[in-house]
Amino acid sequence: MTEHAIEVHGLSKHFGAFRAVDDVSFHVETGEIFGYLGANGAGKSTTIRMLCGLLGPTTGDATVAGHSVADDPLGVRRAIGYMSQKFSLYVDLTVEDNLAFFGGAYGLSGKHLRTRMDEVLTLVDLRDARTANTADLPGGIRQRVALANALLHAPRIVFLDEPTAGVDPASRRAFWRLIRRLANEGTTVFVTTHYMDEAEYCARIGLMVAGRLVALDTPSALKTLWVPGTMLAVHGAGLGPAARALDTLAGVHAVEPFGAGLHVRVGADLGDGAAVTRALLAAGASDVSVVVTEASLEDVFLAAVATPEGPAATAAGGAK
Amino acid sequence: MNGIRLFFLRIYAVAFKEALHVRRDVQTMIMALVMPVVLVLLFGFGVSFDLDHLAIAVADQDHTPASRAVAHALETSSDLRLVGGLDSAADAEQAFHRGDAVGVLVVPRGFAAKLARGEPSDVQLLVAGSDGSTAIQVLAKAEAVIGASAARFAAPGASVSLPISVATYIRYNPEGRSALMIVPGLVAYILAIIAVLLTALAIAREWERGSMEQLFCTPVGRVEIVVGKLLPYLVLGVIAVLLVLAAGAWVFDVPFRGDLWTLAAAAVLFLIGMLGQGLVISVLARNQMIATQAGVLSSMLPSMLLSGFLFPVENLPTPLRIFSNLVPARHFIAALRGVLLRGNGFAELSGELLALAAFAATMLLIAALRFRRRLD
Ligand SMILES: Nc1ncnc2c1ncn2[C@@H]1O[C@H](COP(=O)(O)OP(=O)(O)O)[C@@H](O)[C@H]1O
Ligand SMILES: [Mg+2]
Repeated sequence: MTEHAIEVHGLSKHFGAFRAVDDVSFHVETGEIFGYLGANGAGKSTTIRMLCGLLGPTTGDATVAGHSVADDPLGVRRAIGYMSQKFSLYVDLTVEDNLAFFGGAYGLSGKHLRTRMDEVLTLVDLRDARTANTADLPGGIRQRVALANALLHAPRIVFLDEPTAGVDPASRRAFWRLIRRLANEGTTVFVTTHYMDEAEYCARIGLMVAGRLVALDTPSALKTLWVPGTMLAVHGAGLGPAARALDTLAGVHAVEPFGAGLHVRVGADLGDGAAVTRALLAAGASDVSVVVTEASLEDVFLAAVATPEGPAATAAGGAK
Repeated sequence: MNGIRLFFLRIYAVAFKEALHVRRDVQTMIMALVMPVVLVLLFGFGVSFDLDHLAIAVADQDHTPASRAVAHALETSSDLRLVGGLDSAADAEQAFHRGDAVGVLVVPRGFAAKLARGEPSDVQLLVAGSDGSTAIQVLAKAEAVIGASAARFAAPGASVSLPISVATYIRYNPEGRSALMIVPGLVAYILAIIAVLLTALAIAREWERGSMEQLFCTPVGRVEIVVGKLLPYLVLGVIAVLLVLAAGAWVFDVPFRGDLWTLAAAAVLFLIGMLGQGLVISVLARNQMIATQAGVLSSMLPSMLLSGFLFPVENLPTPLRIFSNLVPARHFIAALRGVLLRGNGFAELSGELLALAAFAATMLLIAALRFRRRLD
């Protein structure tokens, strides 16, 4: 087995002339939570399907748990657990029936199967739901059962494709506690999401924009690189029209609407926010308050989408 | 060996899961078990080619007790209805034209005299040919009635050989009851459509709800999916065959004269072939709507038109007749008629069984080969 759980080399998938995944390379460390971020249609699911041996790459290759996805997709499938984006479970079957079926599909039977079913249901804290009809379960619980399902055969790597999509915030947090627990126990987790707040839980993040991997690093390194300077959260009245004034203020790198207010990223000399407040008041805003805040991955994402060529372009643009 | 154990374990897992779906899916159960019986009953009565009480007129030119006995025999038959006497054969034209009768029996002058001398005596049956199948029915029934009661017309002490010549001799269906011919055809026709639909939907459904992708990520092989999917529906199909045959026997008095195991083998092979055809469709279609349409068309048309159900295969144009060899329903109908009516067994029906087996094997092979375990 190679040193890394997953190694990806120049992986591409074309559908006709369209490049759903375009020359992507990265690796995932054993036991880490690797987040794969991107908007809808960015190519996250396509990448995951290639890594699970479900789609053949157009060019390039990847090694997953030591198996090449191009040459040995069956070896890959045996070694991994997968939770696909669309399907979670057969809703006309009970939790137990679902688990028993997928266990059998993985070649588990008899006592071993029952033990594993117990273990995974305990892990996701759903031992009482065994005989429940899947159709009656709320989305968050269903996703936990689906995770249990993907873990039945004790894979060392699991791929989770938007496991928390459409699930309420409390259930999302519970799900992420599970993911962290899995990683703590040594399982490598490859997870895609379009919720930027969830990405903070990941050890490292790959950012996909239109099929290309435009950024890859730890969350804090990404923030430093893509959104340098100080982030000011601005609240007040009449900010919309007044925000124009900031464009001409030297030292302002970027202005983004954020909630009801603004996120203004500034160079070190404007870091106290006084100059920004003055400029906004002069331009007609009122009740302006400014606090220093931490850049979020949302800001990173917005910067990356605006300038997928790289953070250097942002910095240059902001300095003008 | 462990590999073989796993192979069967995975088939079992797929089959068991599919059986659970079926058990919880009332619609499928009804389609598989209730529909065939209901359809056989509906068709058996409604589309029955037995046009009961066919209107027959008699033109008695002999006016003897013997000629009246012929008319009486027609009158008392349950299938024919005597609508009156005509004066001459020439009036038949008018009776047909007005739609009063679909057949006219002419008993010629000298009929009784010939009978008395023990000579062959002819009666003439005029049939309105405007409706081919009615004409055939009239012929068959009138001949059957006259043939059956011919002995009674003969003068006491006449020769041993029956004095009235009956051109057609319907050996296995002496009363000319079309239920006996129709029920086997219906069984094959209905089961063909339902079997194809069952599996056509079974795999398309997995594509549609996205579970196929999840399945592909397990080590379950395509042969295991195909065989596992097929098994529960095969059991359903066999039960449906039994129900339909029981209904046929009970309601239409369809006999069972031949070998049960030959029939069982034919039914299982036929079902596997049709279920396999459904699998091929759903492997290619991936969409329940398209799968349904393709399933109905590809099973209904050949099973109705090229199987010997509605038209004798021998009457088909040569290219279609050759093509009909590829239609499983044709062989299954032949096997059903063989076992039920002629009392056949393996020896007589080996050709049909072989054809059914070849079709089943081909379908399963195509399904397994075309079933790419990748999404692209
Ligand atoms: N089988 C396919 N054929 C053609 N286009 C596809 C296919 N699968 C995905 N795509 C396209 O590739 C792009 C990336 O899709 P996907 O990987 O599902 O994105 P994501 O998971 O990030 O939302 C989308 O524009 C999608 O329409
Ligand atoms: Mg996706």
